[in-house]
Amino acid sequence: MIASVLRLELRRSRSLLGWLALTSILYTGFITFYYPIIKQNQATLDAMLKLWPKEMQAAFSIMGNLTDVGTFFNVYVFLMIWPIVAAIGGILMATRAVAADLDRGFLELPLATRISRPAYLATSIAGQAIGMGLLVAATIATILVSGLVIGESWDTGRFLLAGCVILAFGWAIEAVTTLLAVATLSRGRAGGVMAGILVGMYLLQTLARIDPHLDALSYLSAFHYLDTGPLVNAGVFPAEGLTVLGAAAIGGWLASVWAFRRRDLLA
Amino acid sequence: MRDECRGYRAEGPCCRPAGGLSLSRRRRAVGAPRIVPGQRASPRDRLRSGAGTVIGMPNVIETTALTRSYGSRRGILDVEFSIAEGEVFGFLGPNGAGKTTTIRLLAGAIRPTSGSARIFGLDTWARAPQVHHFMAYLPSDPGYLGELTAAEQLDYLATLRGLARGAWRPVAERLELDPTVQVRRLSRGNRQKVAVVQVFMGQEPLLVMDEPTSGLDPLMQREFLGLVAEARGAGRTVFLSSHNLPEVERSCDRVAVIREGRVVDISPVQALLGEHWRSVNLVLAAPAPPGTFDLPNVRVLADGTRDAHLMVMGDVNPLLRRIAGLEVRDIAIATPDIEDVFMRFYGAGAPADRPAVEAAP
Repeated sequence: MIASVLRLELRRSRSLLGWLALTSILYTGFITFYYPIIKQNQATLDAMLKLWPKEMQAAFSIMGNLTDVGTFFNVYVFLMIWPIVAAIGGILMATRAVAADLDRGFLELPLATRISRPAYLATSIAGQAIGMGLLVAATIATILVSGLVIGESWDTGRFLLAGCVILAFGWAIEAVTTLLAVATLSRGRAGGVMAGILVGMYLLQTLARIDPHLDALSYLSAFHYLDTGPLVNAGVFPAEGLTVLGAAAIGGWLASVWAFRRRDLLA
Repeated sequence: MRDECRGYRAEGPCCRPAGGLSLSRRRRAVGAPRIVPGQRASPRDRLRSGAGTVIGMPNVIETTALTRSYGSRRGILDVEFSIAEGEVFGFLGPNGAGKTTTIRLLAGAIRPTSGSARIFGLDTWARAPQVHHFMAYLPSDPGYLGELTAAEQLDYLATLRGLARGAWRPVAERLELDPTVQVRRLSRGNRQKVAVVQVFMGQEPLLVMDEPTSGLDPLMQREFLGLVAEARGAGRTVFLSSHNLPEVERSCDRVAVIREGRVVDISPVQALLGEHWRSVNLVLAAPAPPGTFDLPNVRVLADGTRDAHLMVMGDVNPLLRRIAGLEVRDIAIATPDIEDVFMRFYGAGAPADRPAVEAAP
């Protein structure tokens, strides 16, 4: 029973995951091939960045030396394309099981069978989690494979750990969106609010980088915990990121399942 | 919890879901008939009153002052009815009368504002997962997944209902449904066939359907009525809402009429029809003797030399006995259809606030 729900969930995500994975692979592969060029032109790049306003650098998360592999991928992949991919995938997958399926008149069919609401939503959540995992795998694998192609020998373990951090970020998006979908029963509202939250958190993070007095604000932003630069550059274990993002994901999903148990399914 | 399960608990944890005590075992434990897939109910089990209610059987569905409001919008108010095992119960009303709200409350999709609905003694909201073990449900306008074929969709729902894959095939063949086509490519009528197949593919003792024949052509509507009759023959209970009046007339034992959120009448179909006038046209070989049609429930509209047009209220037997003494060349009796009955509750001066009195079966 559970396996059927999970299979259907993954099947329905196939197309979305395929296109998002392709986007991530093409972009990440393309950017990785730029890394040697950045290294070769370090002096020119430093000169150019000195001319850039610090606000601009903060807005694009350019904090540190771009020739450091951790900083490079942080700026161009983990804090640029990944939040977009994770947000699109997370929001679409997390709003489908409850809000979108209720709207289309499908949800009542499985919920009128032997499967309980918590089991149904938990299985759907498992499908979301696996889907996000596949996107992370595609992204990290592209970095590592492209690195081999350009002759760079990066620390695989650090990138795998970075994969865990960006996975926790994607799961946190999915979990909060699932909770919003259960609360609002509207795909539009849940997705819109989640997108707004992400944009707001990005702005908080940028403000905190620009003005040191506002540094505390960055702790309210998920992007603060997505910083994998120190991990990839120096092997600093991302305990804070994994803990906060993981807690948000698990907490959001548990709250969703709890709320869905007794949710009035007003179409 | 024990109180909720009275009459259905035999042993072990009360209201145990699948894998635990089956409904048939619970029934046997209280002396109720056992429903076995494919096996018809015994004559004893089918002992019915004139209204089709099984005597001495516990109620399968029971609502008590069931109320659901949607803020400023009206939902349903104080809806009360009970449905006995083996009964086919129709729920009539136009769009917006409260049929779907009532059915969604029975299915445990929404929470009652007040009152309660119980199926097999279990509260439909608090014990929804347990209730769903015994119920096949067809919501109004179900939204199947367009990207799946009908077969994939039905297999999926069969699995969730604990049925074997392909359990739907016999019903699909009867309804001439092509299961290999993606649902998005099916016409509305064929999509509704998927819905009907889905509800009849199992052997749950209760079928709850919200406008099940909407979009079906007349041939398939007839097939649907056959499926309902077979379900009744197997001792299963059927609750269906409709605004297809002939369908309700043909398939149901009793009918509730809902108007503006309130149940305004619950009657056996025959009683409902019997309260109405029938038109009788007679062509006689010779003029009828004076006073032939003088009966309390007969009104003579036209009495020619050899033909007569009469209106009869209720029981037609006294009139037929009088007519039997005449040489009749032709006779036509037009019975009122349930639409006429239905309009009584919706016409001018209809009893909107009249509390429903459930007719004794």
